[in-house]
Amino acid sequence: MTDGSVLGLITTRYAYLVVVFVATVGLYMMIANQNLVKKLIGLNMFQTGIFLFFITSAYVVDGSSAIVPADGAGGPFASPLPQVIVLTAIVVGVSLTAVGLALIIRLYAEYGTLRADALREVIADE
Amino acid sequence: MITPIELMLFVFVLISAVATALFRDVLASIVVFAAYSLGLAVVYTFYRAPDVGLTEAAIGAGITTVLLLLTIAKTSRPAHEKIFEPINWPAVAVCGGFALIVSSTLFAFPSVGDPNTAAMTNPDVTVYYLENAYEETGVENTVTAVLAAYRGFDTFGEAVVVFAAGVASMIVLGREVFA
Repeated sequence: MTDGSVLGLITTRYAYLVVVFVATVGLYMMIANQNLVKKLIGLNMFQTGIFLFFITSAYVVDGSSAIVPADGAGGPFASPLPQVIVLTAIVVGVSLTAVGLALIIRLYAEYGTLRADALREVIADE
Repeated sequence: MITPIELMLFVFVLISAVATALFRDVLASIVVFAAYSLGLAVVYTFYRAPDVGLTEAAIGAGITTVLLLLTIAKTSRPAHEKIFEPINWPAVAVCGGFALIVSSTLFAFPSVGDPNTAAMTNPDVTVYYLENAYEETGVENTVTAVLAAYRGFDTFGEAVVVFAAGVASMIVLGREVFA
């Protein structure tokens, strides 16, 4: 059932709209907030939007999680493939966050500010 | 159709996402972001991905929050009189354009939870792993089977990334671990 109207979009593909909204809020945080920590939170939020996209595409209405007993009984099951990619991506994402925060701590130690606009001025004055 | 549980969870996630963006105080922003991650973990669990839900709760709501708190403990948390950030309208316009362009592709998507999509019914993709995972790997949880067996090297690469991130953080912070 793929209804092409806007109403069909809202009633049948609502989770994808949430994905777009969350990614947009993350993008807004990266652009509008001058605090570097909040920019990094925005990056994380954009990332979680993508994760939600994958998990939604794996979901089957009235399905069960992808734990299949030896005799193959039960089902339908959610698709395990997008879920595994998201598991990997969450761990890679936290690694990137850790490196980013380490860089922020180092920047603060060097320049004494966390604001992107203030940093730009300090670096331009050097 | 959207179920009441989904509706409640999505409303919670959306409100906490907007609150994270608008709170001026970084600490408040971090705390609301932790709540947002937890809400998402529940969404993942509802969408039949308990493994991802657990990982998100432990790493997204747990470790990420601790790292962010450590960062503001080591740097500064500027005091503010106003509770919310002023809204940056040019940025809103750019983000609105982004959202419109991405949303315009959503009309081509299958509806949420549609069991008849190509990815779900193609015998070489999801169906293959669901049918053969136990026989080939001896694990009932297909997610574990794919993570550790079919994509074992991918998971090894992930461990390398975590190691590299640890080394990079140490170098950036100038700690002499082995000195």
